[in-house]
Amino acid sequence: MSDLELSVMAKDTDRAKPLSDRCVWNAVLPAALVVLLFGFAAFDRSVLSSANLLNIAQQTSYLALFAMAQTVVILTRGFDLALGPTVSMVSVGTALAMAGAAATGHETGVVLLAGLSAGFGLGIACGLFNGVVIALLGVNPFVATLGSYNIAIGIATTLSSGRPVQGVPKIFSELFYGGSLFGVPAAIVITVAVGIVLHLILSRTVFGRSLYILGTNSRAAAVAGLPVKRILVATYVLCSALAALGAIMMTARTGSGEPNLGGALSLQAIAGAVVGGTSLAGGRGGVGTAVLGALFITILSNGMNLTRIDGYVQMVVLGAIVIIGVLLDRLRLERSSQ
Amino acid sequence: MSTALTAAEPRGTIGLRAIAGRIGFLPGLLLLLVAGMSAVDPQFYGIINILNILRNASLLAIVACGQALVIVAGGFDLSVGAVVALASVVTAKTMAATAAAFPGNVVLVIASGVAAGLGCGVVVGLVNGFCVAKLKVSGFVVTLGTMSATAGVGLMITNGIPVYGMPDIFVKSFGRAQAFGLPTAVHVALIVIILMVFAQRRTLFGRYVYAIGGNVDAAVVSGVSIQRHIVGTYVVSSVLAALTGILLTAQVGSGQASFGGDRMMLQSIAAAVIGGVSLRGGVGRVELVAISALFLTILGNALNLLHVDSRLQPVFLGVIMVAAVALDELIRRRRGRV
Repeated sequence: MSDLELSVMAKDTDRAKPLSDRCVWNAVLPAALVVLLFGFAAFDRSVLSSANLLNIAQQTSYLALFAMAQTVVILTRGFDLALGPTVSMVSVGTALAMAGAAATGHETGVVLLAGLSAGFGLGIACGLFNGVVIALLGVNPFVATLGSYNIAIGIATTLSSGRPVQGVPKIFSELFYGGSLFGVPAAIVITVAVGIVLHLILSRTVFGRSLYILGTNSRAAAVAGLPVKRILVATYVLCSALAALGAIMMTARTGSGEPNLGGALSLQAIAGAVVGGTSLAGGRGGVGTAVLGALFITILSNGMNLTRIDGYVQMVVLGAIVIIGVLLDRLRLERSSQ
Repeated sequence: MSTALTAAEPRGTIGLRAIAGRIGFLPGLLLLLVAGMSAVDPQFYGIINILNILRNASLLAIVACGQALVIVAGGFDLSVGAVVALASVVTAKTMAATAAAFPGNVVLVIASGVAAGLGCGVVVGLVNGFCVAKLKVSGFVVTLGTMSATAGVGLMITNGIPVYGMPDIFVKSFGRAQAFGLPTAVHVALIVIILMVFAQRRTLFGRYVYAIGGNVDAAVVSGVSIQRHIVGTYVVSSVLAALTGILLTAQVGSGQASFGGDRMMLQSIAAAVIGGVSLRGGVGRVELVAISALFLTILGNALNLLHVDSRLQPVFLGVIMVAAVALDELIRRRRGRV
């Protein structure tokens, strides 16, 4: 990987070809992914086994979904610290609603509907809270979502009494985890579908494009007549709704509502987005960067697990990777602006 | 000090009034809380409870002062919680090792332990400062990375097991000692706060930090060495976090990688923000941050005494945080309109 970076740097001194420079820079992360995969495979063959590759894809699909959610708000120069607790809250809410509906003897369809509407309802409520506080009250996104971080944790642990919520119907887990389409596991199918739709929204709709303007120059966006506040609220709602979807998928995986499900997810999702090349300064990034970053982090931790690297060492490596990833991205930006 | 800054602005008198309003806001709330709690529960003003509150508030205030300095300069320090843990572990390990090598030489043992603990703070602070100031990576991402890495190192050293073997005298006549009826941590916190207030108001470093946070370009043009001062803020923040780690270690009697953590980090930011430190940089006073740390600690204590479910308590913290900042923002906006 370092050789690769060096050769990239060498090529970069040749400033006469800005376009090819950009292509080389954009290839750094995918190339690093491949190097990483084969590097780990050199230590342990099973890394490249089809079972493990499918496993990586499945693990990535959750983190990618959360990184996409985070990307949407980061595009507008914000971020959502409350994403993890939102996931916990939605997980608990979904499980409670389904358990309650099932206990009162409703049909499966009603039970599922109750769970989904409770989950998405809680997610959207959280997004509305964030959006309103940030856009209408003008509170900094960090403080606003740190506030809702605490609120969501409180609600999640209070609703569940701090214990896993049992009573999730089998069909729910079957639908969002166990099921598959043409042999592809449900989690991957959902994430790919959401990714395509989100990509179209970001690249083809007025709403999507306005996120980029908002992040680059919010004053220009306001002058151009965009309803900045409404867009911001919608952005945070979209972010939390995506988080809710991820939470529902993860609840289906564990088969119970977990008040600790979100844990470190807020920061992991930000790390995923940022490592993929989403700029915290706003206006740059998309579905591609989120997926790439999530894939990178997942492959790294999967490889380190398989090569039996100590979990604590992994924390150190991940920390270093996040910084290096952003540093590379900044260098790339500087080159392309020259 | 802010008086000097705002007085230079055209709307000086309004600025003065706003400052008076800001000072009145938090201590007023604090008095209200104390008076209310004293009326409701006599246990609240029991000497044991008061000492308990003061000790916890002191630990939080020390970390929050450092955090405030970084935020005033326009940055963020997510790594403080992890530094608390690392300093605790390293201090205990070093003391145990030195005690084994030089039995009986208590002064050397304690000095080496404290030096090693503070040294951890210096190292993490330098890494943070270097990455932010020299490599120009966003402070959020850098400290997110060092947070993970620092926590990982702390766990790696201990495998998550508490470290014993510190000299008794360190625990008994420092950590759990009381001079003039107050625990050691309170004395240390008072010294730190006085030093920080002095640094903010009377030293070039403090003034330049305001200048950098207020307007980087103006600071550059005025000949302020930006990089050195930014590194300085991160080092101060990490060293103060390390100091807290050492105090906690002395008080508990063992080094633990579970000290500090995300909770301490989030609380320190909450304390700074509720204490009126603007996340836009350039505004904030350490003494108000200390009061706000006291406020947060008393709030938690009050909720405990009132038998509010501990799971529900984060909700209060979140709501109060958002409300405090939203109120501040509304006042600022109205001032802007006048």
